[in-house]
Amino acid sequence: MLGGKPVRAFLLDVTGVLYNTSGNNSGIAIPGSIEAVERLYAESKVKFLSNESTATREGFHEKLTKLGFKLNVEDIITPAPVAAKYVQEHGLHPHLLVHDGVKPEFAHLPETKNSDCVIIGDAEENFTYDTLNDVFHILHGHPERPLLSLGNGKFYQRTDGPCLDVGGFVAGMIYATGCRHIELGKPAPTYFLKAVEALGVTPEEVVMIGDDIHGDVGGAQAVAMRGIQVKTGKWI
Amino acid sequence: MIKPKFAVLIDLSGTLFIDDAAIPGAVTALKTLLDNPLFAVKFVTNTTKESVPNLLKRLHHVGFSYISQEQVFTSLTSARNLVEARSLKPMLLLEPEAIGEFEGIQSDATGVPQSDLNAVVVGLAPSQFHFERLNSAFRLLHANSDAVLIGIHKGRYYQRKDGLALGPGPFVAGLEYVSGRKAIVVGKPEQEFFQNAIRTLPSTFSPENVVMIGDDVNDDVLGSNAIGYKSILVKTGKYRNGDEENITSLPTAFVFPSVVEAISEILKNGGVVFGSA
Repeated sequence: MLGGKPVRAFLLDVTGVLYNTSGNNSGIAIPGSIEAVERLYAESKVKFLSNESTATREGFHEKLTKLGFKLNVEDIITPAPVAAKYVQEHGLHPHLLVHDGVKPEFAHLPETKNSDCVIIGDAEENFTYDTLNDVFHILHGHPERPLLSLGNGKFYQRTDGPCLDVGGFVAGMIYATGCRHIELGKPAPTYFLKAVEALGVTPEEVVMIGDDIHGDVGGAQAVAMRGIQVKTGKWI
Repeated sequence: MIKPKFAVLIDLSGTLFIDDAAIPGAVTALKTLLDNPLFAVKFVTNTTKESVPNLLKRLHHVGFSYISQEQVFTSLTSARNLVEARSLKPMLLLEPEAIGEFEGIQSDATGVPQSDLNAVVVGLAPSQFHFERLNSAFRLLHANSDAVLIGIHKGRYYQRKDGLALGPGPFVAGLEYVSGRKAIVVGKPEQEFFQNAIRTLPSTFSPENVVMIGDDVNDDVLGSNAIGYKSILVKTGKYRNGDEENITSLPTAFVFPSVVEAISEILKNGGVVFGSA
């Protein structure tokens, strides 16, 4: 029970809640998180709602397993598969500016020479003047071509300091081209609602736990879920 | 010595020359204006990819051999003036050719450690617009809520030989978004730019005695009219048919075929531009 209402399922953010990132794609489990996940699996239902876009779900699962977590790969929800599904459903042919680690999530899409949309994620070192110009050339003068972003965060925490997320690059592209922006990931309402659907419950029966007051907690509350902010990760 | 009565600000690319050629008649017309003590002249431009000495070489190459360094004011100069006025220690996101403009100023280019920097200056700098460098700029702004973000200008894109390419604007906009602060933009058409340009002249001028001549109806005409200067739109360079329809600030704005005709009118003791024909 929480606030007098039953809680039937949990949505957990991952980065900043279960573990903190370090450089070189490694991480450190936050004390107590491994046990917490075991309890949630044993006593309730749980899925992991993440904006992680530098790895595939399998890669992400492998990393968390190495840190000591016991969770099912099918319970991990990330934006890239949602974006791949979106472009297929809408008959779009995307140009990708994403991290190399997440590219396999798009490998099943047909190759195209004529891109009519852009999928942009936190591409880190793949953000160069040339790759950003490529995106600019596709969007400029074509207001019908959407910019799909995997999340829209301003920055994320690494143990060596804050790092630019995809949000600043999206803002730059919107300034340059006036393009239409479609955000996939927290805090977009559909992203939360699809996860709730996958849990087989209603929004009112779910609690979202996250470190980002806007992305995790605010987004959850906007779709009638309850949200708990933890004092780890971005809180620091 | 006669004190100048009028100040004339003149845009460079598109107004005095296009690519490698001077506007026909401009070399002679401009010399006549410069030799006339009634007028104080300043050449103003938004260029940020190169410093004034480099720009000067190009002007001389095109035929304006008599233009000197002190007569040229760029948005880079405007940024430097701002940094000096506020005693800032900036991280410079500029091309190597432009860094020379900040000689004598303590910056990351002179080895000041990141923790001591308190400003970020963003120009048109393709070599700087990649993740690692932009992340450093973000971290500086994020760690210090008093740090100042300065944009040389906010152009969205510019014409390269091989087509359009991103200008500094999108990168300034991105840093504004992630740092939650507004940049101080110091190029045309910002007030700051025009006022700083006038301040570099040896005398003071009230706005109605200043005229800006340029080919860009937004940056040159509307920008200068906004602070009460007269303006002249020339039909060369960036000018496109119908641009003058955008001018809502008549009768302080005038249209001439080129800088040659504009100068010819001004030389008539101010002409219709300054209302003393």
